[in-house]
Amino acid sequence: MEEGKLSKLQITFTEEEMKKVEDYFGEYLIESEAKDIVLLNKSGELLAKSGDITSDVAVTVSALAAGVFSATNELARILGEKEFAVTFHQGQETNIHISMITTNVLLAIIFDNRAPMGAIRFWAKKVSKSIKDIIRKAEQRPPKEGPKGLKEDLKKEIDNLF
Amino acid sequence: MSTLNFARKEISFKIVYYGPAMSGKTTNLRHIYISLPQKIKGNFTSIATETERTLFFDFLPLELGTIKGFTIRLSLYTVPGQYIYKLTRKSVLKSCDGIIFVADSQRRRKEENIESFIDMMENLKAFGESLETVPIIIQYNKRDLEDILRIEELEESLNSEKQFESYEAIATRGDGVIDALRGITKLVVSRI
Repeated sequence: MEEGKLSKLQITFTEEEMKKVEDYFGEYLIESEAKDIVLLNKSGELLAKSGDITSDVAVTVSALAAGVFSATNELARILGEKEFAVTFHQGQETNIHISMITTNVLLAIIFDNRAPMGAIRFWAKKVSKSIKDIIRKAEQRPPKEGPKGLKEDLKKEIDNLF
Repeated sequence: MSTLNFARKEISFKIVYYGPAMSGKTTNLRHIYISLPQKIKGNFTSIATETERTLFFDFLPLELGTIKGFTIRLSLYTVPGQYIYKLTRKSVLKSCDGIIFVADSQRRRKEENIESFIDMMENLKAFGESLETVPIIIQYNKRDLEDILRIEELEESLNSEKQFESYEAIATRGDGVIDALRGITKLVVSRI
């Protein structure tokens, strides 16, 4: 399969699935004391988020996390590795752990500096495991058509949108 | 392929500004950021070196409003133009819905425009894409500078078969910036 096609997979979550993912995130946020959890695809689009993070920031985090992940994987290839499935950045106050759940979906978990590295890894694995099946199912679902007339309305509205 | 997210009721498009180094890709994005109303624009993120050259990419998310209950999102990216960032350019281009190729009108930049255009086509090909699957428009930037190529000359080197819409621009003043964005948005929407 061509590498670009892979990330063009349409992920079609149902509302129930999305709620389930967000419920898991909510639970894990409390248990793990993580600050925020962000689910994104490899093209940098935000799929779901939980925590205090605002939508604006989560959208940017998604674009950058996907960028970092993609750059890291070029690094992997140069070093003869197929890919690096985990990327971790440690700061003075905040850490971010980015890991691959499926070939197209990434999980970014943001912790403050109190969390030990082992705990961060543990929680990232646990969250991934819980939602992997839901994501796989959403990836395998055939792409859904948009609401009727969306394209026509959008075409008409473009001049007013800017 | 645009992304329709039914759970979040969103439709999003990824648009990439491609082109040689210093052709004005980031300037395009800066103008969009400055000129659009606060409520529709997100954070402008630029990963630049100290000399203001784009190192990784620039990113500007826009939320254009709601149609049929769906929020319309545009994610605008630029690629680093410098030759050494070939792999970064390729990764930014991944799964984009449309491209604005920002060409530098200066006579002395003719070869760089052509090289960058070829580089873009090669990257699209590597992703299994082609002109049929990803809409492209060309923006001839820096029309205010001296010793620039005539539009016919630029078209001859980049768009000889007239298969792409093209726009003239002076991105530093904002001329032709929104026109190009509107142009590519129309093309990507027609592919939903």
